[in-house]
Amino acid sequence: MDADSVAKAFVEHYYSTFDNNRHALFSLYQDNSMLTFEGDKIQGAQAITTKLTSLPFQHCHHAISTVDSQPSGVNSGMLVFVSGTLQLAGEQNALKFSQMFHLIPTQQGSYYVLNDIFRLNYA
Amino acid sequence: MDPDALAKAFVEHYYTTFDTNRAALANLYQEASMLTFEGQKIQGAQNIVAKLTSLPFQQCLHKITTVDCQPSGVNAAMLVFVSGNLQLAGEQHALKFSQMFHLIPTPQGSYYVNNDVFRLNYA
Repeated sequence: MDADSVAKAFVEHYYSTFDNNRHALFSLYQDNSMLTFEGDKIQGAQAITTKLTSLPFQHCHHAISTVDSQPSGVNSGMLVFVSGTLQLAGEQNALKFSQMFHLIPTQQGSYYVLNDIFRLNYA
Repeated sequence: MDPDALAKAFVEHYYTTFDTNRAALANLYQEASMLTFEGQKIQGAQNIVAKLTSLPFQQCLHKITTVDCQPSGVNAAMLVFVSGNLQLAGEQHALKFSQMFHLIPTPQGSYYVNNDVFRLNYA
């Protein structure tokens, strides 16, 4: 699978998990993972999952607009840059967001998220 | 200097150079550097600077809204995630953009841009 396809597949899996089974995001991070969520810095899979599962909405749907990826040059990692919209249940207008992931290969032939930065794009 | 301050200083230097002396961006990239500009992939300092200096506007001003950074996992390398506005001369409305940099330390104690991804954020 070429790198762009791998990036796209990972991103689709990430947001599907987020939207359908948010607790399962735990398996996509490790102890050294870092998330910066709207400026809040969080470290480690447990704290990150706690943050994401405690966001003030039950149901959401991410729709991806763009996915760009490049090899990071560090530990065979891949940088993935996503933009899209986030629809919250009950809200009329979707929020726009940008997000950056740094994916590192696992021994099992998959990837985990080492770095994750999320920002809403306000009008 | 703490990493957040370093990231902020680099970003300010980058956009000042872009806005006032675009050809000098050549110093901030190397042969292995990669830029993805609105989905177009470009490699190497020379090609990157050729792309940026040939964009269809003479004058522009970047205004930074947010800067987030995290260590990317090796040495003092840093991921920097920026959002802001880009005002083109003669245009009534500023464009919104998001950009991601992966900065690698140089032996001289500075940074170069190994990875660069730029996307406009459409309304």
